[in-house]
Amino acid sequence: MSITSTPPTGGASGASRGETISVASLTKHFGTVVAVDDLSFTVEPGRVTGFLGPNGAGKTTTLRCLLGLVAPTSGTARIGGHSYDAIGHPARVVGAALEATGFHPGRSARNHLRVLARAGGIAEARADETLELVGLTDSAGRSVGGFSLGMRQRLQLAAALLGDPGVLVLDEPANGLDPEGIAWLRSFLRYLASQGRTVLISSHVLSEVEQTVDDVVIIANGRLVRACPLAELTADHSHVVVATPTPQQLADALAEHAPQARVTLTDHGLEVVDADAATVGHIAFGAQVELHELRPAASDLEQVFLSLTGGATS
Amino acid sequence: MSTLTAPRPAASIDARSRLVSAELLKVTSTKMWLGMLIGVVLFIGIGVAASILAPEQPGVTVSHLTTPQGMRNVFAQAGGAYLFAIIIGTLGMTQELRHQTLTSTLLAEPHRNKVMVAKMAAYAIIGAVYGVVGVAFGYALALALLPLKTHADIPWTALWQIAGGSILGCALFAVLGVAVGTLVRNQIAAILGVLVWVLIIESLVVSFLPKIGKWLPGGALNGILQATGTNNNEAYLPVWGASLVLIGWTAVFALAAAATTQRRDVT
Repeated sequence: MSITSTPPTGGASGASRGETISVASLTKHFGTVVAVDDLSFTVEPGRVTGFLGPNGAGKTTTLRCLLGLVAPTSGTARIGGHSYDAIGHPARVVGAALEATGFHPGRSARNHLRVLARAGGIAEARADETLELVGLTDSAGRSVGGFSLGMRQRLQLAAALLGDPGVLVLDEPANGLDPEGIAWLRSFLRYLASQGRTVLISSHVLSEVEQTVDDVVIIANGRLVRACPLAELTADHSHVVVATPTPQQLADALAEHAPQARVTLTDHGLEVVDADAATVGHIAFGAQVELHELRPAASDLEQVFLSLTGGATS
Repeated sequence: MSTLTAPRPAASIDARSRLVSAELLKVTSTKMWLGMLIGVVLFIGIGVAASILAPEQPGVTVSHLTTPQGMRNVFAQAGGAYLFAIIIGTLGMTQELRHQTLTSTLLAEPHRNKVMVAKMAAYAIIGAVYGVVGVAFGYALALALLPLKTHADIPWTALWQIAGGSILGCALFAVLGVAVGTLVRNQIAAILGVLVWVLIIESLVVSFLPKIGKWLPGGALNGILQATGTNNNEAYLPVWGASLVLIGWTAVFALAAAATTQRRDVT
């Protein structure tokens, strides 16, 4: 089985066919369990958005509400302003691959797609076209029962692409892919977004998607934690690393002249949050503190993610 | 390498027939329907052969091959495909739940009533095909074996009516199966329930309490086929009444199944 290592080019069906996904005050109770709690966010076309949160945060429930599979307790989840069942020919507008979506083990990959194409009003020739897109042409006639997890993920992706949709909703699409497959998926999703499509991918590991996504929507315990461009998340949690033989002296000076700054002592100096390198340097100069190093640094995004979602402790 | 071209719209067939056709493709793209069809042939083969070759039981006059009723009973064995029709119908829904393919089905067509109607229509067709195969094989075997035991005239008019009744009955039982699978959901429980009901509970009630039994689905099928193993005149309803009873059972179960799927969360 070969993987197409570069995104397909040419013959693209055009940009700006993506629709905005809007989730508004979405709440879903399963019995006494609150799976999604007053969740609101939007997902824009032309960008890859990462829908992030620990396992059990409510990601899949939110996506299932969006796709009409689960009825919200209250609130709405719409695509282009329509609920899923109000979209005419939804398979041509939205392509979705959800966790816990199965295959009949005795049905071939091609026939699985032919069934979906037929039901969705899509030409059955798309079955072979999408199998080629995801690199499964050689396995088209094989029963899915013998497929690896990675092959099943690709088949899910092929199913999502059947209708050449402007909106893609993919639940944990990188699960089970090898590094080569993840790299391929990354460039493929970026390519789809560059065509103006809306691409929403969920993951419980930020590092898995941080090179793929433009925007992040982070949830925990069913509630929104943060929705912003990835770059903003990085910038907000940047800090200044300082190496100095007299860290306590600098810390005192910072407390006096830049009280908003939060200071952490380290082995060789200190780390400063909420003050930039110029401010720290100026205060050090004024206090006559000897500096060996002064540099801005981005936080480890995974740590940011864990602190935002409380995953480090729970 | 292929490109992401805009999909050509499928030939503009009506949405309903396209969903039915997708359901039929689900069935023909796995091997189960063939296994069930082999079951039909074996089950009817044994039924026909036993009803012709088994020694006459003393005291039971009505099932003698020489009587019109006895002759009807032989050919009515061809209706035995109904057992496999209700099982494949039940599996048609429980497999979607067991293999979690229901999600894909509902993504392609989110209107659950349309999916339900299409599935029932598809399984009515499959049930009818089982009925046709059962009649063709059962009649051929019966016509081949009967000369070994009797040279009584073949009741050709009755054969047409039994054939039509068998095919109708198999179609209705397949739809009933889809409804049962939808209501029970668990595959093993649904199949066991169907088998215990049809082969044990219902057949005991039909045999020993025919006044009640003739109103049950299996008893109604006996009425449609005008077939019985007893000599009791009350054992079955007239063809039209029995047809209405079986259609009624099917409709009640189908409506209940459709009602329960309307808002159920698919997770």
